[in-house]
Amino acid sequence: MNITWRLAWRNLWRHRRRTWLTVGAMVFCNTLLIFLISVQLGSYQMMIDNSLGAFSGHLQLQHRGFDEDQRIRQSVPAVSERALQVEALLAGEAVAARGIAYALASSEERSFGIQVTGVQPAREPGVSTLPGLLREGRYLSGADGEIVVGALLARNLRVGPGDEITMLGSGRDGSFAAAIATVVGIIESGIPELDRALAQVSLPWFQTVFNMGDHGHSVVVRLRNLDRVPAAVVALQPLLAGAPELVVLDWDQLQPGLRQAIRSDMASAWVMYGVLILLVAFSVLNTQLMSVLERTREFGVMLALGVSPGRLARLVGLETALLAALGLALGVAAGGLLGLYLQQAGFTFPGMEEMNARFNLPERIYPPVTLASLLWGPLTVFLGALLAAVYPALRLFGLQPVSAMRAS
Amino acid sequence: MHWPLMSLLTLAWRNLWRNYRRTLIMLLAIALGVWAMIVMSALMRGMTDQMVRNGLATLPGEAQIHHRDFRLDPSVVNHMPMPAGNLLAQLNSAPITAWAARLRVPAVLASEYASRGVTVLGIDPAQEAALGSLPETLLEGRMLGSPDDRGILLGASLARRLDTGLGKRIVLMSQDTENNVADRGVRVVGIYQARLQGDEERFAYVGRGALQELLGLEQEVTEIAVSAADYRAVDAWLPALRASAGPGLEVLGWTELHTFLGTMLAVQEGFVLVFMVVVFLVLSFGLINTLVMAVFERTRELGLMQALGMRPALILSQVLLESLLLLALGLLAGNGLALATLLPLRDGVDISAVAEGMEMMEMSATLYPLLAGRDMLLSTAVVLILGLLASLLPAWRASRLDPVRALARH
Amino acid sequence: MSSIVCQDLCKTFAQGEERITGLDRVSLSIDAGELLCLSGPSGSGKTTLLNALGGLDTPDSGSIRLAGRRIDQLSRGARADLRLREIGFVFQAYNLIPVLSARENVEFVMQVQGVPVAARHQRAAAMLAEVGLAGLENRRPGEMSGGQQQRVAVARAIASEPRLVLADEPTANLDSHSATQLMDLFQTLNRDRGVTFVLATHDPRVMAYARRLIRMEDGRIIEDIAQQAAGRPSPGGAS
Repeated sequence: MNITWRLAWRNLWRHRRRTWLTVGAMVFCNTLLIFLISVQLGSYQMMIDNSLGAFSGHLQLQHRGFDEDQRIRQSVPAVSERALQVEALLAGEAVAARGIAYALASSEERSFGIQVTGVQPAREPGVSTLPGLLREGRYLSGADGEIVVGALLARNLRVGPGDEITMLGSGRDGSFAAAIATVVGIIESGIPELDRALAQVSLPWFQTVFNMGDHGHSVVVRLRNLDRVPAAVVALQPLLAGAPELVVLDWDQLQPGLRQAIRSDMASAWVMYGVLILLVAFSVLNTQLMSVLERTREFGVMLALGVSPGRLARLVGLETALLAALGLALGVAAGGLLGLYLQQAGFTFPGMEEMNARFNLPERIYPPVTLASLLWGPLTVFLGALLAAVYPALRLFGLQPVSAMRAS
Repeated sequence: MHWPLMSLLTLAWRNLWRNYRRTLIMLLAIALGVWAMIVMSALMRGMTDQMVRNGLATLPGEAQIHHRDFRLDPSVVNHMPMPAGNLLAQLNSAPITAWAARLRVPAVLASEYASRGVTVLGIDPAQEAALGSLPETLLEGRMLGSPDDRGILLGASLARRLDTGLGKRIVLMSQDTENNVADRGVRVVGIYQARLQGDEERFAYVGRGALQELLGLEQEVTEIAVSAADYRAVDAWLPALRASAGPGLEVLGWTELHTFLGTMLAVQEGFVLVFMVVVFLVLSFGLINTLVMAVFERTRELGLMQALGMRPALILSQVLLESLLLLALGLLAGNGLALATLLPLRDGVDISAVAEGMEMMEMSATLYPLLAGRDMLLSTAVVLILGLLASLLPAWRASRLDPVRALARH
Repeated sequence: MSSIVCQDLCKTFAQGEERITGLDRVSLSIDAGELLCLSGPSGSGKTTLLNALGGLDTPDSGSIRLAGRRIDQLSRGARADLRLREIGFVFQAYNLIPVLSARENVEFVMQVQGVPVAARHQRAAAMLAEVGLAGLENRRPGEMSGGQQQRVAVARAIASEPRLVLADEPTANLDSHSATQLMDLFQTLNRDRGVTFVLATHDPRVMAYARRLIRMEDGRIIEDIAQQAAGRPSPGGAS
């Protein structure tokens, strides 16, 4: 090992307790940051996956204006063929066509206004998690007259599998639409808003009941991961060439609240992290300034021996880097262990269940340990510590050998 | 034992400034920490306060009375009589400031082009106005005039989705007390704007009398919303109201009606404390470090004081006093900084850039930081109590120095 | 009557692996009003004996009586009180609290004792005048010479009217003029106020002032002689 390195390392341990306290501050802060960031990133990922996975998917092909106004006439012609075209353009991704209408649903005892979705029973499970969340009965077979409903809607209507529901609404042309459907399954997603409103029938029957012809309202695409969205949007452009009334909306346009909720949460979180990191930087600044000041005499001797102030400043920089590296290594180790534990055991706090339900999250979060969650915080702390050494190191340039050697 | 407080204070104060750079850096760190504690909790409190207020505006009221089966089965079948007797007397007495009896029923609205499922509220406009639960902004037309008004008030977003407008007729369908679907044409007399777009799509207002007539009711309602001045003080009057309502009715406060809001409030309170403690813990390393170094540098001097007959307890209190002075100065600066940050923000922080994300949390586009004296006190308590606890270790070490060894040091 | 009586004091210290002998069965009695010098090479045990006499340190075995009371078995706090009220200390150097002025240093012990403000102001001023530092009351230690600092330490040691003043190498950092002045001061205080002084030193200038000289080596007393004190016999030696 180089003599400068050895010197820096030994200098670090002249005040064992002080060094450990400073390293301790870094380790504590790093562990905390790894924990917070991995919970944060983990829950964002889940928020996106669950919100998009439940219903909207990553992309939708719709009639222009449908997303805003949801009018039944804002429909996509030949929606099943469109779905096949989309599937051809996006090889390997899940694609399904849907139709959406509103109706008054009445059981024998109760009536509620609902949103009825016409789905392709064979394709829907590919784009949505809901078909997999059946609590009772079975999913749609594709036959006419079958309906699956959300658990709270079923409770409100007082129906179970085998019971009938009458739907009254208006068709695409404004005509009166009425049908009787038999409940075949009940879905419980755990998201109250969905469970209160969800009603699905098969698309061909939906088209008949609501007088849609071959029209539907959207082609839903669920991609294998979020990163593929921009490329998929580009890939779908040829479909729009001949049909100016159609648009492709990505998840951010479909659920604008989601990204903003994440962004606002991220902003407030980083203010908090910034404060913690700044506090650690102050701690390092204090330690390094003290270590420089108490060695004034020693530095005076070194200057007198002909060592340049720049070299001394580099020594102080190296000491700080070693200190910060120690904090980084131990912090990442401690935070990593905590992360691995949480990845297995999960994380929750009182009240998290209600809060998380609002963002389509489960009551317990299992934050995955990723390189980003592991290194983001600690590296920022490392940089903050290095910056904190600038002032103490700069002081060395003003040192006069003679007066420094006389300092007590 | 005699406690020479003034001379200890002088000593602590002068010792504090012996290494003024270190003290200043530590002061800056404490001030920053305290600033963050207060500003962050004011922002969080402002956020939850607004969420609760918005939530209470749509709930509405801080407590509601229903038929005891209504919440599980929100159907007109589970109706209740208009309040009378004891209950009426209770509703009209302090601290309750306003109440409104309303019909809340699920319904479908259909225009010639589209239909939507909504919640229709049959209201007495005067009662609702007193409660403050009417939409704040009327875009077009008029508000409902009386309980017997036969018009309907729609949200702007719903009107657009129904492809209808002011003066047009739409059909209101809902279940009557006999489980039959009753329908009637109603004219759109007003279009309102709500703070949250979701509310515009969810709620339509009609006259209570007109709706009772449609659903085959006499004077019955499904919900009584009750309000008093402070939403945090519901527990003070709720039990009396509950007692006067009798067993057939369910009287619930907002924390039970809207568990998300209740939880939010509790979580926010907890989070403020956790955040303060976490910030302090990060600070505490620096604080302990400063004191350890201060004690280390003064080993000989502390030994001398012991040799002169200063009891260990006095040495301990001297170091603690020094820490206390440092903490108090930091608190002063931090509170000052926090006030200087928050006072200009009294009129709200524009967060419209993330408005739709905020709507997921039932917030509007302006955030009003809420500076609570409680949070300032809490941060002061956290910093002082934990600060003195953290200082105990270096202070104890200082008091346990062996004078003979300490004096031998140079 | 003997003021201090020590019997069979033993004390050893650990230094690395070895144990070194600090005191080896030391017995000694000191009368009130003595001016006594402990001398000997460094490591001979004089500082250890001094610390034991002052209740700064406790012997491993043996007993120390101060005015008939055992002090080697007192608790930490009780020993602190003993030092506060009955014993004055003067050390080799860095005797004063650097952040306090000369007057505040002298007042410090009295403050801890609980002497009222007015009384201790007056007394501190009088003490500083007595050691020849009138006019320098508000100087901090850093602004005074070594001799002046030592005199402040003496003023502090006697301000609370202790029975016994212990001084460890009080002249070690002083030039000979300052050392003579300091010893004159000790002598005057001893004669005029009857304060008992025990000094540990290997400075011959100091030994010349002693009326009783004890030589130590390897933790044992090897010589205990009474002598004619030197120094200036004139009162108010410190000028």
